[in-house]
Amino acid sequence: MQPDLSVKIGRLELKNPVMPASGCFGYGEEYEQFYDLGRLGAIVVKGTTAEARPGNPAPRVAETPAGLLNAIGLQNPGTEEARLKIRRLARYGVPVIVNVAGHNTAEYCSVVEALSAETAVAAFEINVSCPNVAEGGLSFGTDPRTVFRLAGELRKLTEKTLIVKLTPNVTDITEIARAAAEAGADALSLINTLLGMAIDTRSRRPLLANLTGGLSGPAVKPVAVRMVWQVAGCVDLPVIGMGGICCANDALEFMLAGASAVAVGTANFSNPLVCPEIIDGLAVYCREQGFSAVRELVGLARRPAAHKAGGTGGCGRK
Amino acid sequence: MTQLQRLSVRSHEQVAPGVFLLCLSGGLTALPGQFVMVSVLPDSVPLSLRERPGEGFEPATALPACDPLLRRPLSVHDCRPGELVLLYRVAGRGTVLLAGRKPGDSVDVLGPLGQGFPLSASRQAILVAGGIGVAPLFYLARTLLEAGREVLFLFGAGEQAGLYRRRELALSGAEVRLATDDGSAGFHGPVTGLLREALGRNQGAVFACGPEPMLQAVAELCRAAERECIVSLEARMACGVGACLGCVVPVRRHGLAVYRRTCTEGPVFRAEEVYSCNPTCP
Repeated sequence: MQPDLSVKIGRLELKNPVMPASGCFGYGEEYEQFYDLGRLGAIVVKGTTAEARPGNPAPRVAETPAGLLNAIGLQNPGTEEARLKIRRLARYGVPVIVNVAGHNTAEYCSVVEALSAETAVAAFEINVSCPNVAEGGLSFGTDPRTVFRLAGELRKLTEKTLIVKLTPNVTDITEIARAAAEAGADALSLINTLLGMAIDTRSRRPLLANLTGGLSGPAVKPVAVRMVWQVAGCVDLPVIGMGGICCANDALEFMLAGASAVAVGTANFSNPLVCPEIIDGLAVYCREQGFSAVRELVGLARRPAAHKAGGTGGCGRK
Repeated sequence: MTQLQRLSVRSHEQVAPGVFLLCLSGGLTALPGQFVMVSVLPDSVPLSLRERPGEGFEPATALPACDPLLRRPLSVHDCRPGELVLLYRVAGRGTVLLAGRKPGDSVDVLGPLGQGFPLSASRQAILVAGGIGVAPLFYLARTLLEAGREVLFLFGAGEQAGLYRRRELALSGAEVRLATDDGSAGFHGPVTGLLREALGRNQGAVFACGPEPMLQAVAELCRAAERECIVSLEARMACGVGACLGCVVPVRRHGLAVYRRTCTEGPVFRAEEVYSCNPTCP
């Protein structure tokens, strides 16, 4: 029997828990040549701002051990051109999640307002965690009061599912998670990239023109799993887990830690077929391990171990 | 059409210190100027579940190798039915791993990618290569020659050993002129020293690939001579298919400076678009 792979993120129903992560999949155009995007649980499009942005100077990417540093700088065509690209994705019959970014509260509001009535948009993912722009982004996402205010403003503007994307570049991610939950977010996604840097010893200069960038890829996965574990234990909202997922086994780790769904980012670059492969792998795992539905796996690693009392980690609210 | 394929290594030889010629057999066809993204991971490690149909899911063995994480963009050096040839220089950990592939091994290749060289109707062409920049120009030269064009191939390097595949080039029927910085072969000086004279006797477009300062100098000479100049660029890339926006180059289009993706709108660009542009723009 085929296991049931469907999951829910707030009111959003996904036929499976796998989606590409924002910024690693453009607006879907580059990957539709490799497989039917209708197989995905959802499609998360590139961070979109009110007006078009040129992005940062090159070099924008640098490979690091099992990882990738990037400083793209939110290059995107702006809300109106993005709208056309999003409408094009409607043909796949898959929920489209728009990642929203901005310089300030007004810009975030303007993107959400402009796209809130768009039927092709299923949800907004609020990017308060981009490490590569001078204003907005990360500076928004590290202060719980700012996150609370911004998420509250956006909540007033849309009935659509509101997901707040959290940055790992904080001392206590659960503070930010609680602020987003209290402001009315429907779900949380985490983690965005970790702020990093690499230096070319030949030129004796940073490898990225932006000097610093966001680290992604398998190198960050243990940090991401730990943060998903902490947030899922503290906030009663569905979590979309991401950070270095390359295969079904990685996706399972996130789900067992408490994520209801997962996003796959950097791995798309090395393996364009990674998303459908993970979907297939989850089905095989469920079948072989005797689960009739993938949602039964969510948070399973959190149950007390039979042989020892209690668990570890979490937010201290036990 | 871009495909993800496993190609088998037919031969793999070191043609100069640190420079390898990799011949792959398989049905991938590319145009001159296009490139492929090659996985450098050893093929003993399964890349994904896809390659193990029916074997079930075993977490311990299904883990994909993930370091080095990214594929390596390599120019197509030659392409014939059933054969794809790549010429690359070992530049880091990824290419060191690739250099270890033996005949019979398989290589995971994504391609063909990017725009090829525009082939004008002109009877003549000047190709200018600097060092490993010969990689895409070799295939262009062969294609032009087979179409009955006259090819003047200017090839520069630091020293004679850096003039990779010069004998095969000469055998192809191109008129090859060499230049070395140390004077060990051909003209003693930069390859642009040969271009001045060449522009006077060959009326074709100029196609160049090589280090950035060489490309700039070639573009400048062509601008002064009002000669069409096409360059093939190199960039750090992550996805190779246009999704990540990591490999952009500032170019001038219709008077406006915009970022273009080396992998998708390039790697071949018109020189005046790339070199009329201040590197910090837009």
